Amino acid sequence: MPLKKHTPFIENIPAYALGSLDVEDAFALENHLKTCASCRSELAAYRAISAGLLTAIPPKSPPASLRRQLQIKLPSARRLFRVPVQWSFAQPALVIMALGVLLFFNVVSILQLRSLQQQQAQLSHKLQSEQTALALLSYPGVKVIPIETNGITGTLLLDGDRNALALFAWNLPQLPDNQTYQVWLIDSQAERVSLGVFRPEPSLPFTSFSIISSENLSNFVGLGVTVEPSGGSSHPTGTRLLIVNF
Amino acid sequence: MSDLEEAKLATQVAQGNEKAFLTLYDRYSSRVHALTLHILHDPMMAEEATQDTFLKLWNRAHSYLPERGSLLPWLLTIARRVALDRLRLEARRPLLSDADDPDEAWQSIPDRNTLSEEHRWRSLYFAVQSLSSEHRQVIDLAYYQGLSQTEIAETLGWPLGTVKTRLRAAMQQLRREWSR
Repeated sequence: MPLKKHTPFIENIPAYALGSLDVEDAFALENHLKTCASCRSELAAYRAISAGLLTAIPPKSPPASLRRQLQIKLPSARRLFRVPVQWSFAQPALVIMALGVLLFFNVVSILQLRSLQQQQAQLSHKLQSEQTALALLSYPGVKVIPIETNGITGTLLLDGDRNALALFAWNLPQLPDNQTYQVWLIDSQAERVSLGVFRPEPSLPFTSFSIISSENLSNFVGLGVTVEPSGGSSHPTGTRLLIVNF
Repeated sequence: MSDLEEAKLATQVAQGNEKAFLTLYDRYSSRVHALTLHILHDPMMAEEATQDTFLKLWNRAHSYLPERGSLLPWLLTIARRVALDRLRLEARRPLLSDADDPDEAWQSIPDRNTLSEEHRWRSLYFAVQSLSSEHRQVIDLAYYQGLSQTEIAETLGWPLGTVKTRLRAAMQQLRREWSR
């Protein structure tokens, strides 16, 4: 660095070491010190002087009472120090926040548990339905009715002795969340009795629906499937998808 | 007292050992009190500042880093800040940076390697006494009263340039005297 630019900084170092340099000059010098090793060295020498000035005063003992006063204050001073005022105000807020976070995770966990329980119940029901369908397939005397209508193919297994039936349908269209398929028994007067609702399995190309009915199936002449609002209807209201005559 | 003993006592103080604290008090209170009295010129205020300084030692002894320097300059730096802040409160002037934080003290303490032994520091007393009254006056106002160069110029009615020149000359003379 050229000496001319360096000089104003080096002249300010003694005052800076004493803490007496005006703010603007101190700021400029601090910036200069970042890049100037010789000025940092000068500052170290002058700081040794200012540190020495602290001890350049002949010792003078304080009154003995000061020692006793200090001794009395020590424990409470340490306690005050260890529990700063800011922390004492912040502590309840932190505890409330922690409780809030715990509560949030608990609620999330409960919701996840309920969702898992629902999934488990659905899987259990599906398994039972498929076992019923398989049992029907292997039972002698079961009536097998092929289905082919509206591009939907499949089979209806009907066991009139046990009032059990199983419906296998391929190519059933997927439905929006607010709709479901509903199965109806149809009697000779064209009256409908609901057997239940089902939704196509998205991961499978076919859908099965099986049930052991409380109704006497021999009183009915056929079976129909309609599209209904989610949860089902008391009587058919939506599109008729298929009708199978027994 | 060796640096090692001092560091050990400071560690004990940090752990809440009152006996260690009182040992350090007995050792250094006269130095601290002399400085606070020199700055404040008021026995009551000086006692309070001395007490505050040692309470900071009691509460913040863990901030003392033996590898950075001896305990006395650290303690005296804190004492100077405490006393100057009392002066500034009285004069309604802005306080020094953070006098409550003893960590700040390290910033104005030179690196341990550049420090001389205490007996060399004592020689500064005589060096200060050898200064002309004008030079001693600016050193006193700058360091022991915490005034900036502009404030010194206003206080003494001197041109700012004169203050700067005399302050620089005084420090250069102290440096020469001290390095003899």
